[in-house]
Amino acid sequence: MAAITGSGKTASGAAASPAAAPATQVPRRKLSRWTRIKQDRSLLLMTAPALLLLLVFTYVPMLGLISAFEHYSIYDGFINSEWAGLANFRQLLSDNLFWHAFENTLVISAVQLVLYFPIPIALALLLSSILSGRVRGLVQSVVYLPHFFSWVLVVTIFQEMLGGAGVVNMIMRQHDLGTWDIMTNPGTFKYLVAAQAVWKEAGWGIIVFLAAIAAIDPTLYEAAAADGANRWRRLWHITLPGMRGIVVLMLVLRLGNALTVGFEQMLIQRLAVGRDASEVLDTFAYYYGVVNNNFSYGAAAGLFKGIMSLILIWAANRLAHAFGEDGLYRK
Amino acid sequence: MPREASLPAAGSLTRRGLLTAAAAVGGTAVAGPLLSACGKKKTSGPGTTSKNQLSQVLPSYVPNTAIKPDVPGVTGPAGVASDALFLTYPSSPVQTVSGTPGKGGTFTAVTPLWAAIPPSSGNAYYAAVNKAVGAIVRVQPADGNTYADKLPPLLAANKLPQWICIPGWNTTNLDFGTAVGVKFVDLTPYLAGDKVKDYPNLAAIPTGAWQAGVWNGKLYGIPVYPSNAAYVATYFYRKDIFDKHGIKVEDIKTTDDLGNVGKELTDAKAGVWAFDDLIGNSAAWCLQPFKIPQKWAADSSGKLYYKYEAPGMLDALNWQAKLVKAGYLHPDALNANNFNGKQRFQSGKVAVNADGTGAWDGNDAKAGLAANPGYNRQAFKLFSASGTPSVELTNPAGIFSYLNKNLSDAQIKEALALANYFAAPYGSVEWLIANFGQQGVDYTMTGGNPVLTPKGQKEVQTTFEFLATATTPVTVQEGMSQLAKDKAAWHADTVKYAAKPLFYAMNVTEPSQYASIGKQVDDTMNDVKAGRKPISAYQEAVATWRSQGGDALRTFYEGIRDKYGTGQ
Repeated sequence: MAAITGSGKTASGAAASPAAAPATQVPRRKLSRWTRIKQDRSLLLMTAPALLLLLVFTYVPMLGLISAFEHYSIYDGFINSEWAGLANFRQLLSDNLFWHAFENTLVISAVQLVLYFPIPIALALLLSSILSGRVRGLVQSVVYLPHFFSWVLVVTIFQEMLGGAGVVNMIMRQHDLGTWDIMTNPGTFKYLVAAQAVWKEAGWGIIVFLAAIAAIDPTLYEAAAADGANRWRRLWHITLPGMRGIVVLMLVLRLGNALTVGFEQMLIQRLAVGRDASEVLDTFAYYYGVVNNNFSYGAAAGLFKGIMSLILIWAANRLAHAFGEDGLYRK
Repeated sequence: MPREASLPAAGSLTRRGLLTAAAAVGGTAVAGPLLSACGKKKTSGPGTTSKNQLSQVLPSYVPNTAIKPDVPGVTGPAGVASDALFLTYPSSPVQTVSGTPGKGGTFTAVTPLWAAIPPSSGNAYYAAVNKAVGAIVRVQPADGNTYADKLPPLLAANKLPQWICIPGWNTTNLDFGTAVGVKFVDLTPYLAGDKVKDYPNLAAIPTGAWQAGVWNGKLYGIPVYPSNAAYVATYFYRKDIFDKHGIKVEDIKTTDDLGNVGKELTDAKAGVWAFDDLIGNSAAWCLQPFKIPQKWAADSSGKLYYKYEAPGMLDALNWQAKLVKAGYLHPDALNANNFNGKQRFQSGKVAVNADGTGAWDGNDAKAGLAANPGYNRQAFKLFSASGTPSVELTNPAGIFSYLNKNLSDAQIKEALALANYFAAPYGSVEWLIANFGQQGVDYTMTGGNPVLTPKGQKEVQTTFEFLATATTPVTVQEGMSQLAKDKAAWHADTVKYAAKPLFYAMNVTEPSQYASIGKQVDDTMNDVKAGRKPISAYQEAVATWRSQGGDALRTFYEGIRDKYGTGQ
């Protein structure tokens, strides 16, 4: 048993950072910057297009954040628009509707974290236990598919199935069983949103976990089985520790995105459940910023969200390090 | 004939729906000026235009008398006429433009389109029109549903085409009073007074339509789809379903009468309900029966009140909440999907719905008949909550095209000559070319009316019309002449109750800081009409609206009224 846990640890370390694994095998040498650049030139060249895209479409547009500190007018441009200082932020922080949207975002995000996050992990574990490659491939394709549907389509499918005139309710009505108004109930909207997210994205989310499972050394299972470990013990002592690094990484990334709980999904269902249940930060910025051409206000709301997200991801990463995991990067 | 139908699509956005939607938001742009309370922007001139100024900038009106409709329009007490009726295209079309208007110039033009974007290369229709006008007008239709998102970048990046069509509802948040001055050509020197007579088809556009294209005392907009008597929306019913249930539509004289037929028409187990949403977005559907103004109205003491504050508003919300509670509304009706709203009506899942008056057209009948051979859409004669109907007219034009300020004097004159061609009236030679292209290629004359060929159906969309349009009569579409007659008769009846609203055809530049104060009221309205919140929540929302700037807007508009009049 001791041997198993010992080697298990090594395996988990390797699986936790598959990318870093080969690097650890190469002995580290102190090289001058120029030698390193020359040595990695083909790798650097390959990352250049991505970096360029990032620069042009992410970093350059960030300069536009200045509009959050202006009374931006499309006719005056960034340079000539009147300077507002922190006025937009003051207005934002005293806006009840904004705080309401913030609260909704946090609640929906928390519900999604609890209901959505574990599901791809569980699915990956289930899938990896299927021996027949053909069945596994089929199941995988079926659960991937909804990822490629637009939110409009997903909501429409839910509406056709569960809506007031949907299949389920029509059958219930015809049998005098009353109706189940899940699509229009503001109180349960957060669960509906999470359910839709699970339906659409859970299949896609398993990919990275499947990769993590695949990276676990199969000899460990053989050794464990030889030592008489049953299925559960192998899961508990080999598979889960092997996935832990990836799970933590995904959790950290997830927390960084916690304030992005879905824009289209909320927009499409806004009338069905009303603003109180469906307004989130993104829809707030849209309705009170973009729609009214009040870009400065929208930018202020967006910047606020960005800063909060940065704090969240930083905190989550710190936490990951505290637990001895890599998180986003190795400390 | 997919003319009308090619525009529509986005739910209520039928051609007339477009007009009326535009008018529902009024000719009101939001900008910074006038109010001293507005500390955020430099003022950019007056909030609107006085009558006296208008008389100096408006083009003269010289109607075309050469083309006679089968049934002329009826003039109502408000002094506006209903649409005339043509049962066939005049057999010998009139020539309204002599020679070739263009001088070989090239114009790029961006227009909204609520249909599939036609191919631009090898498009025989575009080629035919360009050949006829003697210039190259490169139309670049853009998706009408997302047009509002396209405009700010075009304006901000100075990437405007030479000619652009901008629907009125897209101008509301564009600080348009400022935009016109810095981005577009002031057409006053070219068209004011008798100068318009150089362009006879433009001169035949009614004055009211031009007036709605005036900003800050200058003429900027060329009217698109001008109409004399247009309305925000009206209620429709399925006559075939009513007949089946033995419901006499003549007996429906009040909103309560309508509600009372809900029980008879609803059979939830069969998936059939009486009504679709009867209130609409921001009360657009229920303005008429509950006498709610599109924007502002004056009470007996002369004090202005906004539509949110109209007494009828509470009645309307209570009315629908009651119908929802009774289970007479389709469960999906309040989920916002107007697209499906049309489908629900056409497939008989609901028997009564509200829509822009343009929803009643040949394409609708075609779609409805495909679903049900007995399909018969009819509009209710106007009824009301009180029993004495009335209806507000919408702006006489809701969409305008504008010329880029970079154009030279010669280019502006050429563009106006082209606009004159596109604005040729129904019944002219030019109208057929501008709207249908070349006979035998893109259309054939069938039963006395132009009908698109399969090639035409791919190539011909509403494009050049979005640069300039003549007043559009009721015409036969898809060979459905009874529909055209019914529709013209409904318009002739309705115009008797039509009245001009306050600030009719006036472009008022509102202080921009109040641009979003109505949003929370509209949101609450949606909650109340679905029965999610009590009526008191709506009253609270209106109170908030007042304190957030509604009262200041009232003062602002009272100032406009005192200074510039009401436009009525």
